[in-house]
Amino acid sequence: MSSWDDEDSAAAAEAAATDVELLKRAWRNEKAAPEILRFDSPLVSRVREQIQLLVRFSLSVFLLDRVPPLHPPPAALDLTGVPSPGVVSFQEETLDDFADSGVDDLVVSLYQMDLDRTLFLLRSYLRLRLQKIDKYTMHISRSDDLLSRLSQQERRFAKSCAEIMEKHLEQSVLSKLPYGYDSVTRQSLSSTEDDTVPEPQLDTFVFCKTKSDVGAFQLDDITSNLTNGNEDVLAIISSTHAWSPSAVILSDRFWSVVTHEEAIGWLDMKPGISTSKLL
Amino acid sequence: MTGLSAFWIEHFVLCRSGIPKCHRGFRRRMYGRRASQLLKEIDSSEAGQLAPFNSDVFDQVIRECNEHNSQFQSLIRKMVEQNLDIETTRNEDHYGAAIHHLSLLRNKRCLMAYMYNRAEVIQSFRWKVGPVLPHDIQEKLHFSEKEYFKNHSAAIKSYISEMDIDLTVDMVPPKDTYIQVRVLEDIGEVSLGDHSVSLTKNSLHFLRRTDAEQFISQGLMEEFLE
Repeated sequence: MSSWDDEDSAAAAEAAATDVELLKRAWRNEKAAPEILRFDSPLVSRVREQIQLLVRFSLSVFLLDRVPPLHPPPAALDLTGVPSPGVVSFQEETLDDFADSGVDDLVVSLYQMDLDRTLFLLRSYLRLRLQKIDKYTMHISRSDDLLSRLSQQERRFAKSCAEIMEKHLEQSVLSKLPYGYDSVTRQSLSSTEDDTVPEPQLDTFVFCKTKSDVGAFQLDDITSNLTNGNEDVLAIISSTHAWSPSAVILSDRFWSVVTHEEAIGWLDMKPGISTSKLL
Repeated sequence: MTGLSAFWIEHFVLCRSGIPKCHRGFRRRMYGRRASQLLKEIDSSEAGQLAPFNSDVFDQVIRECNEHNSQFQSLIRKMVEQNLDIETTRNEDHYGAAIHHLSLLRNKRCLMAYMYNRAEVIQSFRWKVGPVLPHDIQEKLHFSEKEYFKNHSAAIKSYISEMDIDLTVDMVPPKDTYIQVRVLEDIGEVSLGDHSVSLTKNSLHFLRRTDAEQFISQGLMEEFLE
């Protein structure tokens, strides 16, 4: 595939993606996927470190009692995203610089806003995962593969959730049912498998937007053609394909998952498309 | 248990769908009907809302289950007494037992679905309402559901303290760092960050969004929009 020749430049582009962009992508994927995805532990710890730095920075500035001249933020610091690890050391220098020369309140409030938005992404990401674990607690606890996708703390949470749910069902329903019908995972003794464990529906569809020209590619047994001239292309692919191993290589580089709301919003902007049918 | 004979399938299906006049008397004894009432209740309530726990119908379904079980047991016993092989014999007792077994299973599935779906709504309460439920919601809960809520909140709390990040704030994407709020009830002196604020009724304040959120979700403050 010709698009794979761009691997080097694409890889370079990847490395430059800020942690906030990575977090945003992880957040989007988590929102759109029906099952729980792999926890990105290094990303989350990096983001938290940077948040700590920003918090300490803004706090120290608030404590300053001076009205100083405006200190223009250097170009290297992108105000729309938390800087990636390579730039972290700069933060500490900035701290000292600012402590010496002072800074305008407006700049500080911009940092604060940035901090808030990053915090929201992080919180929402963790919350989404907790809610998914909650919803499919028994299914997740019984699958080693799914358990391996959780962080340590999430695993503990999943275990308590499963216990709580089982206890609740036993107390209210199962203890009152006759012997042989009182299992929480099976309908009765004559069931050949665990048939009362709710599972996420994996064959739903997700919207994907291409980031660059993908051309023809194959996902399992379906060959699709996603081209991207000057316009983005919005495609609908089934979620089993979106996160299957063969699609993972393609996903980050060539397309990104968009949430249902984003897809509707994007389609609304295109002439001649009615989104009312999609809702 | 493999297939039922055509007669029994017809009989069973006829009872569940259209009922011819001569069979009207069966309506009261139609299996699984009460259980589907529970499901209809779940279906008709709005997303995120709970109807009061229907203990009447719930208990009736449990009773039905136990009745099905005793009928099932007696039919099996009858076959055993006649020295028939339970696994392979296909007589009316076998099919009768099959119907009782399947009806019991359906009732069990309905009951579990009822509890499970309600539990999902209760889970959402922790995020939407908070760690303590107001009285009018508490009234609608079965005692096991109240316990479930408590345990669930505790599990979330322990995750939050392990991760050292509060997940109960910031429920909507932030627009402004600071918002103007009007205090609805007397809260008193509260220390926020590095200074303390006196939150008296009807006073207006310019607070950080994250600080104000907890009060807003409890209904003690509201956002003041000009």
